[in-house]
Amino acid sequence: MDNAKDLFGYDSLAFFGKVNASISHELKNVMAIISETAGLLGDLSDMASTGTPIEPDMLKSCTNSIIEEIQRGFLTIRQMNRFAHSTDSPAEAVNLMDVLDLTINLSGYLSFSGKVCLNPCKNVSPTVSTCPFLLQAIVYQAMVYAFKTTGPGAEITISLQARDDGGWRILFSGFSGSEFQVFPDVATSAMATSIGVAIRFDKTDDRLVLDVPLAIESTTNPSVAPGI
Amino acid sequence: MKVLLVDDEQKFALMLAKRLELRGIQSVVFFSGEKALETVEQGNHFAVAILDVKMPGIGGVELKRRLSALDPRMKFVFLTGHGSKIEDTTGANEAADCLPKPLRIDELIATLKRLTEGPPETSNSKH
Repeated sequence: MDNAKDLFGYDSLAFFGKVNASISHELKNVMAIISETAGLLGDLSDMASTGTPIEPDMLKSCTNSIIEEIQRGFLTIRQMNRFAHSTDSPAEAVNLMDVLDLTINLSGYLSFSGKVCLNPCKNVSPTVSTCPFLLQAIVYQAMVYAFKTTGPGAEITISLQARDDGGWRILFSGFSGSEFQVFPDVATSAMATSIGVAIRFDKTDDRLVLDVPLAIESTTNPSVAPGI
Repeated sequence: MKVLLVDDEQKFALMLAKRLELRGIQSVVFFSGEKALETVEQGNHFAVAILDVKMPGIGGVELKRRLSALDPRMKFVFLTGHGSKIEDTTGANEAADCLPKPLRIDELIATLKRLTEGPPETSNSKH
């Protein structure tokens, strides 16, 4: 746990900043659409005041657009709030599905994001005691490298698998192996080590594997295998 | 005036196109740089291209470079949703005609007019 606390330093701050920048970009797009739609409504009002007939469908389309964008904005703010609260504690009991769901949503705000599918974990709650913020940083970084390597058409499937020791395995399909020439980088490796997460590439099935221990304290000597 | 409008935020692009249309400016909208490039490669000419800076695939700055190579007469206006300094994303050379989102339509119209009509002539101008 002390290692996790120590890593709430520059690298973590940089990750926090990157995610917040992407969220602010998303919110600015939402505001831009609302602004343009309101502007169009203003244009239509001006036309109506000079006697030009206005189609009711156009007005309905504008109001629907504003409602949809406000909902999109609220959803984005909710993700932002969840992300901000992930720094509340260096270690806590977390449901891995929640962590993965949030991280996938956050990665969706990247301009170069691809498609990510999270397979459901039926009839079981994949809970571990870990640092949610650092685990998010590791998963996020893995997705960033996959998107950058594959391009806009990237498709990743994430699933969970229980381990015999009570921990969980996060499996990422859709990796080509090229990502592992650059992933994990030094900062990500250090974060993984601090919370006992082992990163490796499964060549047989072309997938990234993150082994997450049941608890940070139960980790004795976590291994990080940074290459193919 | 016919403009090329490229932005991956589809609703934003369509709303803006409608507002331009109400002001007598015809725009052809694309949601990706790749598709916009295709239409210019096919020989279509636009007086001005309005480009979002951040887009998946070909971003605005790269798109400008490629469009300029295809049609050197084309002028450009960048749109950015980024909070960072414009120079950081587009480079100092392009910064002059970069407008932040949310847009002020009058500012965009004035920029389009300036780009297509050129600077106002002065009494001292040479002929």
